[in-house]
Amino acid sequence: MDIPELAFLTTWIAASVRLTGPLLLASIGELISERAGVLNVGIEGTVLLGALAAYLGAIWSGSPWIGALAAAGMGMLVNVFLAWMYVVVKASQVVVGIIFNVLAMGIASYAFRTIMGDIPRIQTAPMMPEISVPGLKDLPLIGPALFGQSVMFYITILIALGTGWLMYRTRLGLNLRAVGEYPKAAAAAGINVVRMRIIAVLACGLGGGLAGAYFVLVQIGLFRDTIVQGRGFIALGIVILARWNPYLAILAAFGFASMDALALSLQLFDLPIPTQALVALPYLLTVLAVSGVFGRSRNPAALMTPYHADR
Amino acid sequence: MRVSLEKRDTPLISGWSVVAMSVLAVLIGMVLGGVLFLPFEASPWEGYQSLIGNAFFSKRGFGYTLVTATPLMMVGFGTIVAWRCGFIFLGFEGCLLIGAMGGTMVGLGALEGGILSTSAPALVVTLALIWGATLGALWAGLVGELKTRFGGNEVLIALMMNFLAIYLVQYLVAGPWRVVGDMPQTERLPKDLWLPYILSGTRLHAGFLIALASGVAIWVVMAKSRVGFEMIASGLNPRSARYGGILVGIRQRQAALIAGGLAGLAGAITIYGVHHRLLDGLSDGTGFVGIVTALLGRMTVPGTAIASVLYGGLSVGGDAMQRQTGLPSSIVLIVQASIVLLLLATEVLRTHRIVLSGRRKV
Repeated sequence: MDIPELAFLTTWIAASVRLTGPLLLASIGELISERAGVLNVGIEGTVLLGALAAYLGAIWSGSPWIGALAAAGMGMLVNVFLAWMYVVVKASQVVVGIIFNVLAMGIASYAFRTIMGDIPRIQTAPMMPEISVPGLKDLPLIGPALFGQSVMFYITILIALGTGWLMYRTRLGLNLRAVGEYPKAAAAAGINVVRMRIIAVLACGLGGGLAGAYFVLVQIGLFRDTIVQGRGFIALGIVILARWNPYLAILAAFGFASMDALALSLQLFDLPIPTQALVALPYLLTVLAVSGVFGRSRNPAALMTPYHADR
Repeated sequence: MRVSLEKRDTPLISGWSVVAMSVLAVLIGMVLGGVLFLPFEASPWEGYQSLIGNAFFSKRGFGYTLVTATPLMMVGFGTIVAWRCGFIFLGFEGCLLIGAMGGTMVGLGALEGGILSTSAPALVVTLALIWGATLGALWAGLVGELKTRFGGNEVLIALMMNFLAIYLVQYLVAGPWRVVGDMPQTERLPKDLWLPYILSGTRLHAGFLIALASGVAIWVVMAKSRVGFEMIASGLNPRSARYGGILVGIRQRQAALIAGGLAGLAGAITIYGVHHRLLDGLSDGTGFVGIVTALLGRMTVPGTAIASVLYGGLSVGGDAMQRQTGLPSSIVLIVQASIVLLLLATEVLRTHRIVLSGRRKV
């Protein structure tokens, strides 16, 4: 392989890995929630508010870690409200999610303007430190991708692997999946369906909030109310493509991110492939995956169905 | 003190309780919004005055309110058909874009050298609207096919297809249809192809009348026809509908076509009435807000029309308020969303009562 080609591939893979982080965090959150039977379309809003909290927390404290903590707290907090609407009030999950995104957009841009004033001073948030393994980082192809990322990336991978372990290897995970497949049977087996679903939606808030922190503290360093721009929704696609499996979510998130990264770098060249086709490709695969054409779709059976103990 | 919910023996279903709860939700939402004016040292009174005055009590502003309400209404009517039939369609955003694309396609064919360049403008516009509606219907119809024939999940499919539509339009305006210039957009359509303005001194275009007519048509179909009855029955309980001899799958596919067609038509109307060209950034959440207006209108045609005008007015008024007084229009987003969420939350009071300390009952 030529040196320029190798350099291109190395940069591409590294850029893909960099873009994977927030997508993966949001999808892991969404995945936990969906596995418990709650489709959280509101994840977009959670990510946005998490980003805001991360930015403000990091600027005020001067520490990116406090920023990430603030984002996690904010994600959980707003998802307390979502959990209440989804699980206690039992409103339509789709409707609550859509309107929550509008609310989050309003809150984020209002709060940002109120706090930062009319002309916000452009102040960069302190960024998460990068880990760089000497020697290994200079490996071709995978060196920068695997051994030169932000510390948050490694935490994200651990979270994904940990979620997989919890999901398939512990009683908690089994109960969670049972609640999403057949809540009545789960309840008969002594599982508290309501509590389990609330926990799942809170976990989703944690993932969504941290995803927001990732955008601010690893990728951009600033906050704008357009910072998320549909990337919360990508999490929904990743979960489908990963077939609701946390391990596969790592690959699916990487897939979405790599098309984004490729489109970005191809804009520099003048190639006959439209960049939009590349970015749209993972969505097309997602549509096919959930279309039912290739076997029945295997989403959790009770997805989107509120649980009524007395019905 | 312990607060808990206790099930009512009989749910509240009277019309009064609906009105009371709606009024309560709107009031709480407005008060909440009023509080948000305070950090800007503005009185809520002035803020709301500017907002409502601009949206509903100035001719130009009200015209713009109705322009904004037009696609909301049509998406809302589509929501009524699809959702009442048990087809939880979230793909209106995509249908709007595809419809806008289809409409533009015909319009571009009427430019110099195009195959429609000698046709009468009225014919071109009619063809454009029909083609936009057709493509929107097919886009949603595909989701309907996948759900009813293959058991796909319509919510997830439609959400993902929205992105395909966004990227398709982005590709067209940045690539083959792009006009020379800085912006990714198509050539501006000639003036004789624009939908006529129907109220002097405003931007209100004839598309608003099409929206009203489509509302009447949907009302007739849903309330007066056998097809509508079967659709509603399919949505209420597909199993008993099937037992009663209704072909649920076919009705749902028809509902998908109608809903997508309405949204596609709305997209084409937006091109011919407002933008007069296809451009990037056309997707602004109208396809989702339209669903919300249908819910606010309690899934009825008149209710949806009123909710669309109110919702559109708040948005228009919010922007005008921001220009006039410098107050952020994001307050309006918060008020709009709070009202809807409060309405959903108070729904629980119809079946449950709040119990304080286990003794006093409210």
